[in-house]
Amino acid sequence: MSRDIACGVAGLALATAVWFAAGRIPRSLLSDEVGAGGMPRGLAALLAAVSALILVRALLARTAAGDDDGTTASQHARALGVVAIGFAAILVAPAAGYIATTFLLIIATAAYYGAKVELRLAAVALGGAVALWALFAKALNVSMPAGLWMRLLP
Amino acid sequence: MSEVAIAWKVLTTGWAIPAAFAGVLWGIIGGALPGISPSIAMALLLPFTYGMDAPTAIILLAAVYVGAEYGGSIPAILIRTPGTNSAAATVLDGYEMNRQGRGGEALGISLMSGLVGGLFGLLVLMVATGPLARFALSFTPPAYFALGVLGLSVIAGLSGKSLLKGLFAGVLGFLVATVGTDPVSGVSRFTFDSPDLLGGIRPILAMVGLFAVTELMAQVIEPAWAKADGVTARLKLPGWAVWKRMARPHAIGCAVGTFEGATPGAGGTVAAFIAYNEAKRWSRHPEEFGHGSIEGVAAPECANNVVTGTALVPLLGLGIPGSNSAAILLGGLLLHGLTPGPMLFEKNPEVVYGLYGGLFVANIAMVVLGLIILTPCLWLVNRPKPYLMAFIFALVFTGIYAMEQSFFDVGLTLGFGLLGYAMRWFGVPQLPMVLGVVLGFMVESNFRRALVISGGDWRIFVGDAISVTLLVIAAAIVAFSLRREFLTRRSATVAPA
Repeated sequence: MSRDIACGVAGLALATAVWFAAGRIPRSLLSDEVGAGGMPRGLAALLAAVSALILVRALLARTAAGDDDGTTASQHARALGVVAIGFAAILVAPAAGYIATTFLLIIATAAYYGAKVELRLAAVALGGAVALWALFAKALNVSMPAGLWMRLLP
Repeated sequence: MSEVAIAWKVLTTGWAIPAAFAGVLWGIIGGALPGISPSIAMALLLPFTYGMDAPTAIILLAAVYVGAEYGGSIPAILIRTPGTNSAAATVLDGYEMNRQGRGGEALGISLMSGLVGGLFGLLVLMVATGPLARFALSFTPPAYFALGVLGLSVIAGLSGKSLLKGLFAGVLGFLVATVGTDPVSGVSRFTFDSPDLLGGIRPILAMVGLFAVTELMAQVIEPAWAKADGVTARLKLPGWAVWKRMARPHAIGCAVGTFEGATPGAGGTVAAFIAYNEAKRWSRHPEEFGHGSIEGVAAPECANNVVTGTALVPLLGLGIPGSNSAAILLGGLLLHGLTPGPMLFEKNPEVVYGLYGGLFVANIAMVVLGLIILTPCLWLVNRPKPYLMAFIFALVFTGIYAMEQSFFDVGLTLGFGLLGYAMRWFGVPQLPMVLGVVLGFMVESNFRRALVISGGDWRIFVGDAISVTLLVIAAAIVAFSLRREFLTRRSATVAPA
């Protein structure tokens, strides 16, 4: 399937979902003529029209232009792995605390990009985590997650 | 005593000059960190100004604003992460220049364009505060709606190869802007009962996700970079030929920045996008835009720095803060018992003219500090790719969390990264979506307010002179872009034959 066709189909599906979701937005007594759902519905209609045009253009052109950008399924999966590391950090952070999470995030990301897990990487990760913590938590006074283990300290 | 003498006295008798330098340095650091907006950087310093005399305090806060607006462009160029909203337009050509080994040149152009913009904005602030403030006051909801439409019309020029896909992205962005509490009735929309979404989705989350996280994902499957040599990793200031080439985008940036800055609610982001689009439209080399164009960096950087001066016009002239940063400056004025407005010029001339002098020093400080810190910045981004990517990820993670101490925001940013990756694969440009997110709320809220005022009569949009003018300009921009796409497609069809 051409990427333009996929784009058009995805746009139509999203537009349909938004249209029905906007229809379920409750109408307030304070509501104006357009209503809270009016603009989303208008945008959904516009998105559907644009998606349909992209779809029709792709079908009429019948070109395979851009169908194959050389990226394999395994490469896409590898790209998704980066985001998975981020979500893992979100899960770990409340328990592990900011410094430990950032330390692990730097090591995991660098290793994922091909760096050797060695003492140098650990030192850089620790330095980076502490530097960011000092900048945000100390200089900018942002409250960063301390982690469960910090609560165990007297 | 003349205005210049008052400014000179303020600058030379107190701590004003060190405050201007310190403020710019703090602003550059804050602006360069994703998640720390200029207003946050200013707000963090606000309590420290309490013990200072009023002119020094105001100069310090204004200098932070100048530094932050410039600082946002550094990560935009080097790591495809706009540090501030207004640096989003710089990503397109600035990062492309960096990829071509011209990062030092892009940073030099950004620095000098920021200086030109900052000094021009100051000049406008000094000579035109009165008339421009009165003009800003005449903006009504239909005019604000039209201003938003004018901003959205730029989508046509940012769409790259396909206008349809640009429009697709713009609508997606606008839809993101509808998440949260309805601006008129207060009803929740698309919040899925999550309190984190009640306030809507902040544009910076979409920007960092679409640009930085998407790039992190794309880079993991790209081959390793060639190591930068000593020349490409060094800051390069523009030569005479480049200055000549930047003249037109600078003129455009100055004009757009003046208009957008003086209009409450518009600001540097819209100014940068419009300036980018207009620079492309009037360029002799429009084909270079998006591929590392000098003009593509100069125009938005000049425009958003003009705004640092002109955004103070409604504040000083009328006492109306037109942006978050201006609101913090207003807080600084009130903290020192000063009431902005026409009487400020009469009662406290040392504050007003001291501020003018301080802004001048701040712009010079921006160049001095820029020259010192940019080469180390270039060195940093030329470290081995795995280390650099890991640090960028940690910076994104920390900066986004720091905004609201919310992991939900971090998750949302990662989600935008996934969306950006899909958009890239579909060939859908990301910049129009960012514009939709930025302008969506402004367009919808003013559109509906105007209709409430008129009792549902749509003629209100053509009954207001400013509204009509802006809508006509928006229509002209769209028509021009459509014509250009038509001509480009026709020449592409004819060429093979």
